[in-house]
Amino acid sequence: MTATRELVQRARAGNGAAFEELVRGHYRAAYATARALTGNDLDAVDVVQDGFIRALERLDECDPDRFAGWLLTIVRNRAHNIRDRERVRTGASVEDVDPAGPDRTDGRTERGELRTALDEGLAQLTPVQREVLLLHDLEGWRHREIAESLDMSEVMARQHLFQARKRLRELLSHDELKEYLQ
Amino acid sequence: MNDERLDLRALDPTRDPERFERTVGRIMDRAALPLAARRTRLSAVGQVTRWWRPMLAVAAALAIAAIGVLTRISPASPAAATPEPGVAEAIGIPTTVATWMVSAETPTAAQVYTAFEEEQ
Repeated sequence: MTATRELVQRARAGNGAAFEELVRGHYRAAYATARALTGNDLDAVDVVQDGFIRALERLDECDPDRFAGWLLTIVRNRAHNIRDRERVRTGASVEDVDPAGPDRTDGRTERGELRTALDEGLAQLTPVQREVLLLHDLEGWRHREIAESLDMSEVMARQHLFQARKRLRELLSHDELKEYLQ
Repeated sequence: MNDERLDLRALDPTRDPERFERTVGRIMDRAALPLAARRTRLSAVGQVTRWWRPMLAVAAALAIAAIGVLTRISPASPAAATPEPGVAEAIGIPTTVATWMVSAETPTAAQVYTAFEEEQ
C-alpha cells in the first residue's frame, strides 16, 4: 500500500518510471475487470490502455491508498462505454447483446483450445460473476478487496465466486479439460 | 462451498511477455504527453513556490516603508498640518491660504481677499 502511495505521488509529479510501475503492478487486475465486462481479449486490452491513460489524467482525484479500486472503477466505466457503443453500432437492444461481447478472436488455432474453451465458458457467466472469478482466481484478490471494489458484501462476493466456479466447471467438463480444471 | 481455485492462467495477459511488453510500451507512449504536462505544471508551480517567500518579504518591506512615509507626511493634528512658512512663501502661496488648504476650514471670500492683500 505504501509503495503504491509513493508511486501515485511520484506519478502525479510526472515521473514516468513510477507510472510504469503502477501499470505493471495493476495491469492484471485491470485486465480481469475489462475482460469480464467486454467479454473478449482485444476490447479488454483497449479498455485497459484507455483506463490507465484516463487514470493518469485524473490522478489528482485519486486517494493514493485506494488506487486499485479507483482504477478499476475507471476501467469498468470504459468497458461499459465500449459495450454501449457496440450496442448502438449494431442496433441491438440490451437484452440482445451477448454479455460476452463480440467475438473478435481468430479461433481456436491461434489462441489455443483451452483458452477458447475458457472464453466460451466465461461468456455464459454474468459480468459480475466473471469479474469476481477473474479477480480472485486470476489476479489473486481477496474477497474483502473484491467486495470493496464491487461495492458488495464479502458474503455476496463469495457467493458469486462459488456460482461462477460451479457454472464454469459444468460448462467445461470435457474430458480434456477435467485434469486442467482439477 | 467449492473453494478450489480454477486455474485461469491461460487468460493471464502477462503470460506472453513480448505481448505484455508491447502493451505496456503502448500505454507509456500514450502517457508521455500527460506526464510531460504534469512535469511542466509542477515546474511552473515550483517557480512560483520558489519565489513566493522572497516576494513576500519584499512586499512586506515595501509595505513597512510605505507606512513609515505615510505616517510622516500625514497630518497627525491641525497644528502639525500647518505648512512651513518658508515653503509656502517659496512657491508664492500666502501662509494663511496654505493653512486653509490643509485644514477643513473654508474661508470666506473676504478672508481670501484680505489674505492676498496682506501678502502684497
